[in-house]
Amino acid sequence: MHKEGVAGFPYYLGVNSLSELATKDDKVVVFNILGKESSGVTPVSHEYSGGNIVFGTGPGKSGKSLSTKAGKIPVYNSIQEGMAAGHEFNTAVVYLPPSGVKDGVAEAVRCNPKLKKVIVLTEKVSVKDSRVMRAICQTNGVDLFGGNCLGVADSWNHVRLGGALGGNHPEESLIKGSVALFSNSGNFTTTIAVYLSTAGWGTTTSISSGKDVYIHYGPQEFIHAFNNDDRSQASIVYCEPGGYYEHGLKSDKPIIACVVGRWKAKLTKSCGHAGSLSGSGDDAEAKEKWFMDYFGVKDIYTPENPVFSKKGALVTNIAHIPEALTAVMKLNGKKPDFEPRGNLSLKCWFGNNNGAVLPKELDVQQVEAIDPYNGQIDALKQQVGAQVSRETLKDASGASKMDPKTQVSQIHNVSILDASNKTFEDNLVFALTHSYPSASGTSMANAVLNAYVNLHGQPALAAATASREAGNSPNTVQAGAVSIIGKKKAQKAMDAAEALLDIFKLTDLNDPEGTFDYKSLVKGASGHKDALLGVAADPKAAKVLDVCKSKSKSVFIDFLVDFAKEQKGHVSMDSIVAAVWATLAWPSLRSKKISKTTLVRLPWYSLIYSTMVGVAAPEGKHGADSFCGVKNDDLLTNSFTRTAFLSLMGRDASEGELFEFQVLLGLIITNGPGTISAQGSKGAVSADGPEQPDRVQVNKGFIGFLTHTGFAHGGNGYEAAAFLIDQFKDTALKDPADAKHGVDLEKLAVDYAKWYGAYKQEQKGLGHLEYAKIPCVNHPVFKGKDVNVDPREEYVSKLFKDKGLYNVFLDFYHHLVEGLFKAKVTKNVYCVNVDAVIAVILLKMLWSDYKKGSIKEEDIEWASFMAFLFGRMIGCAAEIDDHTNRGKNMDTRTPASKVTYVG
Amino acid sequence: MQITGMLWGRKLLDLVEFPRSEVRGPEASVEEIKAMIKKHKQLFIKPFFKGGVGKKGKSGLIGRVDNLQDALKEKERLYFATHQDGNRITKSNGVTFEGGVPADHEIYFSITDSTVYRTPCMTITHHGGVDIEELPPEKLAVVPFDPLTGLKSFHVSNALDSLGAPKEIISPLVQNLPKLWDLYNNYGMLMLELNPIRMFNNGGRLTPVACDFKCAFDQDDPAWKRLHLPDDLFASDDSEFEQEINQLRTYQGQSDVFVINDEGTITAPTFGGGANAMVTELLGEDATISSDFGGNPPYVKMNDISKITFKYWLPQSNVLFIIGGKANNTDIFETFRAMADGIKWYFQQHGPQPLFVVVGRGGPNLIRGMAYLRDTLDSLGIPYRFFGHDSAMSEVINYARAVNRWMKNGGKEEIKKSLNIK
Repeated sequence: MHKEGVAGFPYYLGVNSLSELATKDDKVVVFNILGKESSGVTPVSHEYSGGNIVFGTGPGKSGKSLSTKAGKIPVYNSIQEGMAAGHEFNTAVVYLPPSGVKDGVAEAVRCNPKLKKVIVLTEKVSVKDSRVMRAICQTNGVDLFGGNCLGVADSWNHVRLGGALGGNHPEESLIKGSVALFSNSGNFTTTIAVYLSTAGWGTTTSISSGKDVYIHYGPQEFIHAFNNDDRSQASIVYCEPGGYYEHGLKSDKPIIACVVGRWKAKLTKSCGHAGSLSGSGDDAEAKEKWFMDYFGVKDIYTPENPVFSKKGALVTNIAHIPEALTAVMKLNGKKPDFEPRGNLSLKCWFGNNNGAVLPKELDVQQVEAIDPYNGQIDALKQQVGAQVSRETLKDASGASKMDPKTQVSQIHNVSILDASNKTFEDNLVFALTHSYPSASGTSMANAVLNAYVNLHGQPALAAATASREAGNSPNTVQAGAVSIIGKKKAQKAMDAAEALLDIFKLTDLNDPEGTFDYKSLVKGASGHKDALLGVAADPKAAKVLDVCKSKSKSVFIDFLVDFAKEQKGHVSMDSIVAAVWATLAWPSLRSKKISKTTLVRLPWYSLIYSTMVGVAAPEGKHGADSFCGVKNDDLLTNSFTRTAFLSLMGRDASEGELFEFQVLLGLIITNGPGTISAQGSKGAVSADGPEQPDRVQVNKGFIGFLTHTGFAHGGNGYEAAAFLIDQFKDTALKDPADAKHGVDLEKLAVDYAKWYGAYKQEQKGLGHLEYAKIPCVNHPVFKGKDVNVDPREEYVSKLFKDKGLYNVFLDFYHHLVEGLFKAKVTKNVYCVNVDAVIAVILLKMLWSDYKKGSIKEEDIEWASFMAFLFGRMIGCAAEIDDHTNRGKNMDTRTPASKVTYVG
Repeated sequence: MQITGMLWGRKLLDLVEFPRSEVRGPEASVEEIKAMIKKHKQLFIKPFFKGGVGKKGKSGLIGRVDNLQDALKEKERLYFATHQDGNRITKSNGVTFEGGVPADHEIYFSITDSTVYRTPCMTITHHGGVDIEELPPEKLAVVPFDPLTGLKSFHVSNALDSLGAPKEIISPLVQNLPKLWDLYNNYGMLMLELNPIRMFNNGGRLTPVACDFKCAFDQDDPAWKRLHLPDDLFASDDSEFEQEINQLRTYQGQSDVFVINDEGTITAPTFGGGANAMVTELLGEDATISSDFGGNPPYVKMNDISKITFKYWLPQSNVLFIIGGKANNTDIFETFRAMADGIKWYFQQHGPQPLFVVVGRGGPNLIRGMAYLRDTLDSLGIPYRFFGHDSAMSEVINYARAVNRWMKNGGKEEIKKSLNIK
């Protein structure tokens, strides 16, 4: 049963021409106007159409309104209420949730005899509801559109009914022209309109039909209205498999059909559009044939094989529509509506290889985006550096993690095994910039790090000395010194960093170690004079500058020098530190790996790094002109690894020792965010409130780390050293690096294993289960096999072997685990764990002095602990910076509900 | 979401009291089978497939027996039978024993929603028991009817009259067939097919007895849930991945997925039904999945979708291809932010992996969304290219495929190197 409409249709159809589909006379009511979807889309439609929406509904929302630039749209509880208020409408747009759509349509039809069009935007309307609401509309002479459509729009009438055709800037896509557009896809309705404009074609009426099982306003209706629309000279029909809607279409005017979805023939359930599920005879190939038969062509139109007739062409790629249309229209003697706008070639708006080398054909370069997107992209340049979303970082970190399977920790996705192949200074830079420096960068980093190691006459050294003399452990001594390195100590250098950032942030500078024309910046930076230049010449600054300029290339350093000349001022030490760190960090800032906050605060970290290495040497090693016997000027060109060794051991290192020392420090960098030291640093940041990063005290973060180390965490490396000393003290071992040491390691190991076996048995017999364990053998993860290996220890052993570096203590450990098995103390061969590596490296360095009696066991313990602090300083610096940038205020606290009282 | 066969069909038919053959499931005992043979003289043994599997008879997957020994033999043969339809292979898990219904007439009957008439349609013929596609149109009656009033006796009567059906079958069918509209309409069906209905001579009066059953449900209509069918009945239609994604269907926005090639190397979160049709077509076997995540999904849903998708498919993917046309109302910032966070989550959980990201998109908040994704990819060190909506979607697809080819031929190693993956 249906009302009589346009003649010739077996069902009701009211719209006779596309020109009457969306007009200025249409008055619209929007169901659920204040819903998320509608409240975003409706104002744009209202404004675009010159204010065609008379009211909206929202149960319980009567009296509210939806603001638009074309005025407020009143909201009523119901249609009935809105009509009672005197509003009249002929079109209902439905944004109700699926279960309410049918009832909403029924209500609109029931209440308003003048209703002519209903447009259902809602997706996932059930087929049952769809068939029922169609029947209601049919009976009452109402044209139904959708569901799951985006409505209709008319470029000539400047009217959009229903959804969001053309998005939030309809004018961009809905360009007046001569082509009528019908599409199963809402998105493609807009996309095809944009594509058409690239060939100079505009649109008349665009219809997004939806592609549910029921398409209420289908291609037959569209083509009928198209035939009666004088404005439309051609039409585009985009369709997908499923349904017979396109069967038997006919027109006197050209049609370009686009059928997509051959692959859907293998679907057993819908994917994408609900109605794109073909039965027998209505799959994509069948539809292609319908159109080809109608057009009288034998093939699909492609640019390579342009097959078309006066009646039209079939394409299977929407990108081919404009070309096919132009060809067909030319045959019909019709020209495009306007000059082509743009083209459809590949245009890259954003791209980055991120270090990978791409073949030329894939290395597509960025081009300027079309208006208005180019302006928006330009505006992005104002946003310098990473902007990380803040989250609760309790027991979490964006800097470090430990793989529970391999037990190998990572810092910024680099395993500590790989990090241990890098120098101390490179790892210190990497912790904060997330990138390893170039050789040139390393030289600069060494210069500024070494420049602050000698603390002669400095309060930090006095604090450390006082703390040391009071009998404190190394971490406590360090904490005392670091507490003196407050914000004011680094403020000038940070001001300089801020100034450099301000001057360069909007430039195209990407590689500060390359060439860059900064002349105009020199002229324009006078406002930063106080931040960048000192009032008097600083001899130390001059020397550091010389080192930096002789060994490295830095745009920032060059800029400072030229700026000082321009301003007739002096480059200060603070600005050099800022410039060096800006050079090291700039590529990471540009690639959004680090934030502006980090870049500005790098000098503070740098000063703390230097202080911690410096105070490891006792006060007497800090002279006015030298540090540990090395002239201050000579120190500037040292590798910072060598300086750290010097500070710790009081002597210079051999090349082999330097490598072993670097590996030692690398292995200690991190054990993930769960370690006490990391937790200490993170807690300190959290308590300062990282949501205001300026208030986070970097030195306090380090103090947090330092106070969360101790004799059990950091100082325990000594246990293994003490064990080894015990084993070797009565041997004739002179040089632990000499493979021909003359010590029978196998015997030593087996003898000890036998003794230990007896001891263990005795203790167990006595019920003492807390008997002494052998340090650094066995591991809770790397166990259970016949022969067990800690992959980290294996990696380092191989590293040393490859470098020809022998270590008798490590060799002994390997004999020991075998000896324990042979003596039946262990059921299988235990692994030598990575802590042993740390102990054996350290003891090897100190053995000679120990044997000579120039150092005592407590000195070994001190050095062992201090070395741990050096290494862990790298990891904790990364945690402090990460938590400052990513964490939330007080996010490391444990809620009261999660803690337990055990008293 | 289909049901084929009488094991579950009988339960549905019973709801509307439509006569049916006697059916037992795989649990039927020897005694029961014996009794069925005694009662019906003939027994049909059919494999039980979950989901929609048709044309079992043509595939030799129906056993017809008249003694216990053969019945047990057929049970053994068909219990784990496989059925192949194109590339799709389905394995049965059980059999049904269906009592034979002696009859002189076989009827074909179905109800579907017709896209020609845009209303429900009954298709009927008294030349049933064969493939409906094989019958000439004049032997079929296709009758559209009003969904508000439903299928009525006169629809059946008129149709059978027009076909010249034997008079003795008309009255019993007129009395019984309209009941099937209740089943179709009340439980959210998209298709209901009984073929054959055998006209059993019950002491001189014919009774229509349904001997096979097929129906499909509308997954957007919750009415089928009232049938309390077991959860796993439809689950076999979907892969584990599809099932996990399907749980998000309740939210706003699309979340349709279909596994294309479980050895594919391009994973393409696709936005829009049109893009879904086109992208999947052009990616072909390179694609892992076909998807439609359009419809302006909120952040939470998109992030959940991303995590599930990445968890299943990124390990094998060379290219993550985010593709859609110029969105009308999908917020690009929200969807890109959700996916970018999903990528970050994946890298945090599973470590870095060699990946290239290609994007083709347009729509509201496009540049904000692209910028967020760009920053995330930069921070993770992943190479990428983003194209705006003024690049032809097919060209962007071709670029993604070219990247995939390069990845297969050394590109993966190159990115591993740049990401410092050993």
